[in-house]
Amino acid sequence: MQTILETKKLRVEYRSRELKQETKVALKGLSLRVNAGEVFGFLGPNGAGKTTTMNVLLGYVNASAGEAFLFDVNVREPIARQRIGYLPELTYYYKFLTAEELLRFYAKIFGIPKGETEKRIDQLLKLVELDHARKRPIRTYSKGMQQRAGIAQALINNPDLLLLDEPTSGLDPLGRMKVREIIQRLKNEGKTVFFSSHELGEVETICDRVAILNQGELKIEGPVNELVNQYQCNLEQLFLKVVGYQPQV
Amino acid sequence: MKQAKLILLLLLVACFSLATWLQPLHNSRILRTETSGNVLALLLGDARKMFAQQMFAKADAYFHRGNYPSIFDLTQHHEENHMAGESHHAAGEADHDDDDHDDALPPAHDWIERFGRHFYPTIHLHLKDGEEREMLPWLRVAVALDPHSIETYAVTAYWLRERLNKVDEAEEVLRAGLHANPDSPELYYELGRLFYENRKDSVRTRNLWVFALRRWHEVEDTKTVPQRVLLAELLGGLARIERQDGHKAAAIDYLKQLQAISPSPEQIQKQIDQLSATQTPSL
Amino acid sequence: MNKIFAVAGVVIKELYRRKDFYVLFILTVLITLVMWSARFFNDDGIVRALKEICLMLIWLSMLVIAITTTARQIPFERESRTIFPLLAKPITRAQVMVGKFLGCWLACGIALIVFYVFFGLITASREHTLPLVQYLQAIWLHWQMLGIVIAMTLFGSVVFTSPAENITITLIITTGILFIAEHLHKVAERMTEPSATILTVIYFLVPHLEFFDTQKLIIHDWPAIEWRFVGGASLYAAIYTAFFLLATCVIFRRKALN
Repeated sequence: MQTILETKKLRVEYRSRELKQETKVALKGLSLRVNAGEVFGFLGPNGAGKTTTMNVLLGYVNASAGEAFLFDVNVREPIARQRIGYLPELTYYYKFLTAEELLRFYAKIFGIPKGETEKRIDQLLKLVELDHARKRPIRTYSKGMQQRAGIAQALINNPDLLLLDEPTSGLDPLGRMKVREIIQRLKNEGKTVFFSSHELGEVETICDRVAILNQGELKIEGPVNELVNQYQCNLEQLFLKVVGYQPQV
Repeated sequence: MKQAKLILLLLLVACFSLATWLQPLHNSRILRTETSGNVLALLLGDARKMFAQQMFAKADAYFHRGNYPSIFDLTQHHEENHMAGESHHAAGEADHDDDDHDDALPPAHDWIERFGRHFYPTIHLHLKDGEEREMLPWLRVAVALDPHSIETYAVTAYWLRERLNKVDEAEEVLRAGLHANPDSPELYYELGRLFYENRKDSVRTRNLWVFALRRWHEVEDTKTVPQRVLLAELLGGLARIERQDGHKAAAIDYLKQLQAISPSPEQIQKQIDQLSATQTPSL
Repeated sequence: MNKIFAVAGVVIKELYRRKDFYVLFILTVLITLVMWSARFFNDDGIVRALKEICLMLIWLSMLVIAITTTARQIPFERESRTIFPLLAKPITRAQVMVGKFLGCWLACGIALIVFYVFFGLITASREHTLPLVQYLQAIWLHWQMLGIVIAMTLFGSVVFTSPAENITITLIITTGILFIAEHLHKVAERMTEPSATILTVIYFLVPHLEFFDTQKLIIHDWPAIEWRFVGGASLYAAIYTAFFLLATCVIFRRKALN
């Protein structure tokens, strides 16, 4: 099976004035592999290193040691991001642009031809139910609408790998359902989805494999049903066990 | 309750005292406002004189079609204001022509200065053929900023009447100057020039110059170093008028006064001798 | 190049959707029209003072537009976190930076044309002529100068911590350069060492923006500049612009995004 995403002993260290120039190790030799067609859940408590891993994969941050690859291309090369779509947790889009203009802008960056761009914009805006608001600036959108615009921009290049950072955060149950449907649809099309989430119930439902991170280290990795069977508990209980949670009562 | 009333009373007294102190200040400010008479004076205060000088220099820069030394150049070589200089000469006598100037700039210090000279005016030229009107806005603003700058009125009036054929406007400027500076012999002299050179009214000219002469003596006689240039112009002008009108004795009288202060008394003596020779002998 | 133009397009859209340009343009128009209606000594033919006021307003407005638009770009992207989905696309930081520069520069070019068209109309109404070559040269050189200023401001946006700081410092430096850079060597002559040497070094290092200021030539109806000097000035502008852009890209590459 083709490896879509791979990290090899990834190590990320931060030094900052806030930390009084001490080194904080965000990732300690993370080695991870995601295969084509998988829906992969990336879990961990706050500060575990999930966002740092995403940042390295997206090229925002350089690793102190180790390497990361997307489609066998080192993530330091911009071309590694040609076939990915990224949905950030919060809606970070140009508020003065309309949804249509935003999609057109990102399509241009991907180098998608004009005719194809217009076709995809129409399809995606219908998919995320923003067709009626396509000409309105994003600053007039509700949070849910902005999130849906985000999904549309993540899909504009028909990505083979989708990176989602807390995709259902802040969404109502209907919105969450829509996101789950989109993820399922992508899986059916043979796409790979890599997402981080705190919604363990959701992860258990839709993910093929999961990895649990804690304090920069990979604690556990494997297919969801195998792990659940192995540890004789649900994903949430497994998560708490792995991160060393001790109940107070 | 008693304490509150006492505090109120004290506050009342304080307010009353402050008001009695502020009122005269306010009145004197109104007086100064009325004296200065315009918004610019109110806004800029004493800095308006500095701005007025800048506007006057701006007019000179316009006279030179933008080719004007910067303050960095001015501190090195003192440059005369040509625009003002021309106004001191009689009608038809220009101070100098464009051709009188050596157009060559000093050699450039470096390639930057050499290259930069292609992007601003570097040739010494004067406005002419009616283009002198372009100076007028700056002169107008200079007058508004400093109503007590006699030279500005004189220069403005000169250019209006001499080059732009706007005699009425020139007279208006001089009268405005006299309104703000009623003691100024220079402005009376300039007004006289207007009537002499443009309106050809020697009667009014004589009256104005005689009055100017009287004002000059009132103002300058008390000074240790009186300003003699204006006196010479007044005496010379009056002598000229009297001679034209056939009042040779009066003309000679003025010439003798001029001779006393002239740097070339022998030239004046020649004129006196000529006049005396043509005087009709008494019976 | 498409990516760079895509980023530039967004910058241009931002400029004409913000109010800055319209406010400054309307202010310029109003003040100029007030001046245009003024009569000095009953003379209708006075035009040079009008040209000077209008050009001064144009220069002031364009500096404000260029510097404030540019100073906002990268800090806004980082603050609003729009830089993240942008850099998640196959685009480098250098391409983003060049795109921002191009967008600001093109946007200023469009604004410049609008201002100068107004200027041309106003002056033609008095002078009844339109010295097209001189005006085109003025627009071109002004635009080149703005290129240097924009590149400087972009550099400031990755060096200074806040846009306000960047705007203030860049405005002061630009105004200082316009007014006194050409005279620094004269001042240096009157100073003692080591101040004289320092000032001379600064004189040779700073971009001489006065090469691009042809206001006096326009106001006083001087003939057009020889094209080879216009070309030389353009090359000079390109070198300084490239220098500041390169420095900006180098610093931005190493900067944390948040």
